[in-house]
Amino acid sequence: MNILELKNLTKTFGGLTAVGNVDFEVPKDSISGLIGPNGAGKTTIFNLITGVYKVTGGKIIFKGQDITNMEPYKIAESGITRTFQNIRLFKKLTVYENVLTACHANANYNLLESVLRTPKCRKQEKELKEKADNLLEIMGLHDRKDMIANNLPYGLQRRLEIARALALNPELLLLDEPAAGMNPDETVQLMALIADIREKFNLTVLIIDHHMDLIMGICEKIMVLNFGCKLAEGTPQEIQNNPKVIEAYLGVEG
Amino acid sequence: MTQFLQQLINGLSIGSVYALMAVGYSLVYSIMNFSNFAHGGVIMLGAYFGYYYLTGAGLPFPVAFIGAALTTCLLAVIIERGAYKPLRERKAPFLYFIISAMGTSIFLENMVIATIGPTFRTYPEVLSRTPIQIGSVSIGRLDLAMFIISAVCLALLVFFIDHTKMGKAIQATAYNIKASALMGINTDLVIIIVFALGGFFAGIAGVLFGMKYTVYPQIGIITNKSFIAAVFGGLGSLPGAVIGSILLGVIETITAGYFSSQYRDLIAFVLLVVVLIFRPRGLMGKVTEDKA
Amino acid sequence: MDLNYISGILTLAGINLMAVLGLSLLTGFTGMFSFGHAGFMAIGGYTSAMMTVKFGLPFIPALLIGGLAASLVSSVIGRLTLKLKGDYFCIATLGFGEAIRLIFDNVQYFGGARGWPGIPHYTNIFNVIILNIIAIVILANLVRSKHGRNMIAVREEELASQIVGINVFKHKLISLMISAAYAGVAGGLMAHYMTFLAPKMFSLVKSTELTIIVIFGGLGSISGSVLGALVLTSLPEILRAFADWRLVIYGLSVVIIMITRPSGLMGGYEFTPSSMKKLITRIKNRNKDLPNQMEGGKTV
Repeated sequence: MNILELKNLTKTFGGLTAVGNVDFEVPKDSISGLIGPNGAGKTTIFNLITGVYKVTGGKIIFKGQDITNMEPYKIAESGITRTFQNIRLFKKLTVYENVLTACHANANYNLLESVLRTPKCRKQEKELKEKADNLLEIMGLHDRKDMIANNLPYGLQRRLEIARALALNPELLLLDEPAAGMNPDETVQLMALIADIREKFNLTVLIIDHHMDLIMGICEKIMVLNFGCKLAEGTPQEIQNNPKVIEAYLGVEG
Repeated sequence: MTQFLQQLINGLSIGSVYALMAVGYSLVYSIMNFSNFAHGGVIMLGAYFGYYYLTGAGLPFPVAFIGAALTTCLLAVIIERGAYKPLRERKAPFLYFIISAMGTSIFLENMVIATIGPTFRTYPEVLSRTPIQIGSVSIGRLDLAMFIISAVCLALLVFFIDHTKMGKAIQATAYNIKASALMGINTDLVIIIVFALGGFFAGIAGVLFGMKYTVYPQIGIITNKSFIAAVFGGLGSLPGAVIGSILLGVIETITAGYFSSQYRDLIAFVLLVVVLIFRPRGLMGKVTEDKA
Repeated sequence: MDLNYISGILTLAGINLMAVLGLSLLTGFTGMFSFGHAGFMAIGGYTSAMMTVKFGLPFIPALLIGGLAASLVSSVIGRLTLKLKGDYFCIATLGFGEAIRLIFDNVQYFGGARGWPGIPHYTNIFNVIILNIIAIVILANLVRSKHGRNMIAVREEELASQIVGINVFKHKLISLMISAAYAGVAGGLMAHYMTFLAPKMFSLVKSTELTIIVIFGGLGSISGSVLGALVLTSLPEILRAFADWRLVIYGLSVVIIMITRPSGLMGGYEFTPSSMKKLITRIKNRNKDLPNQMEGGKTV
């Protein structure tokens, strides 16, 4: 079963086609990869899926429902969340506050109840705090919970962004270059972490990255983009042996 | 018809002075992305300087006129150095600039009240008050002079921006200040020049306004309308500022002529809001999509 | 200095504080800047005065209706302008504020530009203090709830807020409406303190003054707003002896504050029992490790 289907997805900026007629399916519970040279349109696809950009043509189907051009927050509510290539944390808030804020959908007390601080509000607040603590524990950030997010080391900022995303109880997690700027050691750790959270949170994961060890190591399905169009699709093995992919990455011989 | 033509001409004349002030707002906005509310204070002081050079120092009109413009030019640069440069160096958010500008504006206005006093002052008659008669339409000599002087100033500004090296540097800096700095443009100098230009035109506009109406400390409130005109046309766009100003001038005089002058100011603000709702970046401003 | 004089200044500070608290939610916690809050004060002031003078309603219900009226107007304005980006939103609020004032200038029912005298003197130091305490408690509860955290998230990073499922527009609108309600109540308090209303009391200068107080106190700090309102309302009053020079000094100090201490008096920190405790322990442990920041005192 596919959790996400892109049908004929197209995005143009003025006369420039950033993504053209892309078809792609993400199987439920899989870890899938999206690769391609710089400027191929990978992040644009993420922006289209999460509603940050308006779609020019085609459809995005999530869990059988059309989510094309929905408001970003609604898409998030329906179960898709993401991280950003250039990390976008709530920089001046603490690590804990970052995650706690993202937990908001787990409580349903209203404005009046929050102003009066009713027992229901207090109880739910306590639950939110427990959930935030729990997430930080799992992501290994608990000992730094009072640090200002911006002061965290780069690798941990990426971790925190994932923790924040998990606070929404997503079904589909989009990771935009999670290993950017990481050394091989950290990349290996990250791979383990991604596999781990998929199990723990019942996630489907879609990853953009340039680290081929990471992509080939954990992805079950890969799509290759070039100049906004789909170049190839298949298992890591198939992709590695595809002459078109090799050509796009290494250029034509002779 | 005659009445309409009459109002149109008056509107063009006022609009052209608004344009002189509005380019000051727009130039600064294009580079620094904030609305320089101290500009109104500078215009007000321009009117005072012109008045005192003329009556106090007894200078001939052209000398007093240029003198006032040069003084406000210097003043605008001093304000930049004192109130904005420290913020720039710290990369403060735009609101700090606006508040600092408003503080400066409060300071300037009340400085004038405290030292010179709140009384109205009237410019001596430089141009004869008898209008020029063309057919059934009469044009005030002052209105005509306002239009011609403003038009010449704006033409000079356009020439400067389009055909000089510094003008090109201003354009580049407006496009991307960081990249311009990396390409070896002295962006600090560009900012000084931009404030100097804005200040110079503010002085000219101040003197013209002082001659048209009277001089008083709150004259800066009228200049707020030139700011509205700049927003109207799209902040940061020079052609936008000019077109917005002319439009506002004409709409205002026609409202005052046909309805009531009481509604003149109201129209200006309502128009501002309506334009922003339907064209969030003004008439000529560019609309951009957020990049993730 | 006699007691009446001091209580007069405190009442004025309290009236300002009510409006500042509202603006603090909008500017300090949600990250939006308004130069039109004097307009909301005007709506609240005129509405509540209409309730007491023309309909004979008691003071408190009249105040609440004033706040509600301001809030309703703000919701219309908000729907139209909240999609505007930073500066342009600011300018649109400026336009609305001025437009509201100019409209009152032309409403003869309320005395037009000449003003409206003879409003009963109901506002006093006691009801101002009590209302402010209630206002502070409401605000404090709000900002530490999930709704408040969502507003803070919007302030920090709009795109990321949307991605974590926060309806940015809705939270901005709620923040604007609550903030306008506070301003409306403040306007009502002012009307029944001055016993006179005129549109020019609600000019752009008043809106600017409110924003200046919020920034002076420190964005994102309720205690800062309280402190700011007390200091900046009493300062011009104390300087009244200098007559014309006081606003010169005021303008100059605003610029100096901006360029020297941009994070405001409190810089985002709060006076709460727990933050005080932490601060005291920090001071006690000062010799062991010298902290350059009171990180633990941050409660928002």
